[in-house]
Amino acid sequence: MDQDNKAVTRRDFLTGVAGVGTLAAVGETLAQAAAPEAPPGTISNEAVKADKVPAMEWHSERPLTGSVPAHEHDFDLTPNHRMFVRNNLLTPLIDFNAHRLTLKGLVDKELSFSVFDLAKQFRTVSIQGMLECAGSGRSAYQPRASGTPWLPTGGMGCPEWGGVRLTDVLKAAGLKPNAAHVAGEGGDPGMVANAAPVIRSIPIKKALDEDTLIAWAMNGGPLPFVHGYPLRLVVPGWVGSASTKWLHTLTVLGAPFKGTYMDSSYRVPKVPVEPGQKMPADSVSAEAWPIKSMITFPVPNATYQAGATITVRGKAWVGEGSVDRVEVSADEGKSWRPAQLARATGRYAWRSFAVEFKPEGPGYVTFLARAWDDRGNAQPAQPQWNPLGYFWNAWHRVGVVVEA
Amino acid sequence: MRPELWLLAALFSQGVFAQDRLIPGPGSTLTENKCQICHELRHIQRTPLSRGEWADTLKNMKERGTPMDEAEMAVILDYLSVYYNRQKPAPPPSRDTLAAGGEDPVQKLLNANGCVGCHAVDQRVVGPAFREIGARYAGDSTAPARLAAKIREGGQGVWGQVPMPPNPELSDADLNAIVGWVLGKN
Repeated sequence: MDQDNKAVTRRDFLTGVAGVGTLAAVGETLAQAAAPEAPPGTISNEAVKADKVPAMEWHSERPLTGSVPAHEHDFDLTPNHRMFVRNNLLTPLIDFNAHRLTLKGLVDKELSFSVFDLAKQFRTVSIQGMLECAGSGRSAYQPRASGTPWLPTGGMGCPEWGGVRLTDVLKAAGLKPNAAHVAGEGGDPGMVANAAPVIRSIPIKKALDEDTLIAWAMNGGPLPFVHGYPLRLVVPGWVGSASTKWLHTLTVLGAPFKGTYMDSSYRVPKVPVEPGQKMPADSVSAEAWPIKSMITFPVPNATYQAGATITVRGKAWVGEGSVDRVEVSADEGKSWRPAQLARATGRYAWRSFAVEFKPEGPGYVTFLARAWDDRGNAQPAQPQWNPLGYFWNAWHRVGVVVEA
Repeated sequence: MRPELWLLAALFSQGVFAQDRLIPGPGSTLTENKCQICHELRHIQRTPLSRGEWADTLKNMKERGTPMDEAEMAVILDYLSVYYNRQKPAPPPSRDTLAAGGEDPVQKLLNANGCVGCHAVDQRVVGPAFREIGARYAGDSTAPARLAAKIREGGQGVWGQVPMPPNPELSDADLNAIVGWVLGKN
């Protein structure tokens, strides 16, 4: 859905930038306070954590990863303090004013922009869009898959992003006829001097999608440091790693980028393999998320009186296409009740759903949610195991206690 | 200062590495030293994998920049495939007979004190190569005392602004053995 009417205005942008100066000062102070852990030019984990809710579970410190459980996601827009954190390397502290974005490769002319240049030269837009780590839910796979043990739900968020369309910027540079992929490179530093830079590429079709952004704003303010300040790609609906944070270089290529973050990570078997086996030779790049949903209310194991009305609420989303319907079961899938689906607030935004139940009880009642997309795909009871534990999208379950 | 040096030195000085150990066994020390340059050991501890998956993971980590050669990767693969294997339980802990240098006493000292996390003989890992240090001090009669003090108390400024953490627990005998060995690498 085009939301130009909600576009970031020049005033908002300038306000944002004014705020940025303050933020940077605060960030530097925090980084110093937390020394010696924070290397110069980076933001300490403590400073990142200070901006997150206590409910955020931290899955690893090096690199920093964390997410909140599903019942902490009961918001239309994901607030900054609940957005999942997934670093590959350290969190850099980058000078907003000095930052440049370079566009090169298969273009008629190479271009270079400051953040201000982007805002001045192109139409600013804002969209609500899903980002979800490819490994979101990984901890639910049996046997365990390699990687960050994300909760069954939580490694995702759907904030509002502000910036300019990647397609507009690419058009300004002029694409060569053989342009096939666009690679984004992030400025996050590693622990060793020869750490591979984080580079991922997306097919040109997705790069030209009008909801694919070069973003500097999140929920109306500057990007938080850990979410890419000052500039990032937003490739909504696709695995989070496509949305390069701390973006400084875009390269238009004739083929997918060759590198460890393309060829050894973010891959799924073309044909399912036996659980516990290694990645087969024939694998494909992880791109759009399949249909998924989660229950955000009630809180797990909450107590209700028998006969009380419980409005089960949640979110449903799909990486490409649209959510068609959501069903909720209170009897382990024997019967399903259609949920009311809220209006879509973006082509790649999650949709809220709600449905009422009146459990007679007493006992323990488990709600299951299952969504369908417009192509006839439903969430599975159990998704196909894969070596890197991607795309967990099983029916989400939340149980409550019903007292007599 | 390069950020990675600062952080690594800080982690060493805080004893973070020492507290986090893998199951002792042939290759465990090398595995710890290499893997925790960039990440916590719980990434290994919580997810045993098959040998094929470990091989893929090691290749991926090498691509991402882990300073390790083919021989070291082979030792680490053998170790992880035995002690963190999803298909069979780990054997009881045993002595790390493959601690770098085998029976070489100085190599064992370098290993046991975490030196090889930052230093290698011929290449810069995080700190300078042992051979560079040896070459710098060649022919300098005050070198043994100065180097010993650097190792014991930590240092900064000779090779850059990265602080090297102190090693107060080193015995005089071990310290002298290391100093003599390093100064011989020129």
